[in-house]
Amino acid sequence: MNIRLELTRFLNVCFALASAFMFWKGLSIVTNSHSPIVVVLSGSMEPAFQRGDILFLWNRNEYSKVGDIVVYEVDGKDIPIVHRVLREHKNENSGKQLLLTKGDNNAGNDIPLYAKKKIYLQKDKDIVGTVKGYIPMLGYATIWISENKYAKFALMGFIGLSALLTNE
Amino acid sequence: MFSLTQRFQQTSNQAITCASVVSIFIIATFWAQLYHNNVFSLSSQIANVKPQINLRTSRFYGSVNGKPKENLRIAFDLDADLTPLFNWNTKQVFVYLTGSYNDTKSSSISSEVTFWDKIITEKADAHVILKNVKSKYAIWDAKDKISEKDLDIKLHWNIQPWVGTLVYGETTGETLMTTPAYKKNSAKQKAPQKDASN
Repeated sequence: MNIRLELTRFLNVCFALASAFMFWKGLSIVTNSHSPIVVVLSGSMEPAFQRGDILFLWNRNEYSKVGDIVVYEVDGKDIPIVHRVLREHKNENSGKQLLLTKGDNNAGNDIPLYAKKKIYLQKDKDIVGTVKGYIPMLGYATIWISENKYAKFALMGFIGLSALLTNE
Repeated sequence: MFSLTQRFQQTSNQAITCASVVSIFIIATFWAQLYHNNVFSLSSQIANVKPQINLRTSRFYGSVNGKPKENLRIAFDLDADLTPLFNWNTKQVFVYLTGSYNDTKSSSISSEVTFWDKIITEKADAHVILKNVKSKYAIWDAKDKISEKDLDIKLHWNIQPWVGTLVYGETTGETLMTTPAYKKNSAKQKAPQKDASN
């Protein structure tokens, strides 16, 4: 057993993890959004977006426009929701904007989804980002892994096995 | 010499490179075709816009603490040919009719609302012809009343591609509509309305 070789290998793993983290946080800063890439979890925007589609977000716009597809988070729920802006009311003095959203595939607007008693979202507080780009289906792997415990074990097993079996 | 991870890495690298090249080609031809078809200056005719206002008392119709709120619905005619928006990377076109207006007191407060929208997934359905159709949504203002306002009515579209960036645009047709003053006696004629509030 070569200590030096083992340490180098460990360092490489750390390097890979650190650069992935750096890339994610760098993207966060550029887009001004705490999660710049999201995976669609529900079918409420079908047929535009299905479960597992990957969306790229941008949050440097001051105001949203009607028709924009935005991702928002409601106080008390940690699941981001991808819906379309149905109405906007903006006040350029205070810089505030009220938004009402709706899923294309839903019959009614989102008021029942909002935090208690609220009938609008606030652009500066609730919006995570506006959808700019789209890749179909590739995100399904993350849904599969997070919702299926055997998939999680299989992934861990694969990583562990490949680490054990590698000897350069 | 070859380890499991190395092989996996090489295969996935190859796959990602191929997929990116193909996607970039698709996105480039998609945009070229959109500009070639002049989609950013498509025309539409919005005519015969008839506003109608009534009062609602539900939270789901903008009412706060049960105070009656003016809700606006319209009826309209529409003729718009959106066929040029469809090409090989178009998954769906979302078309929506909006009205924008300024606050009567302050010019720095402005609003835009959606009256009607439609999802089009087939090129054959892309020529939209509507006669005297009622708006899908009842509109209220965030703070003020909706009556006696000048609304600028426009038709917008949004393309969802199979891969790539979302594309937004508006048609050149544009109509002005002034909402009438709300009359109390016209509300009396209708039976007192009970809103569903779950």
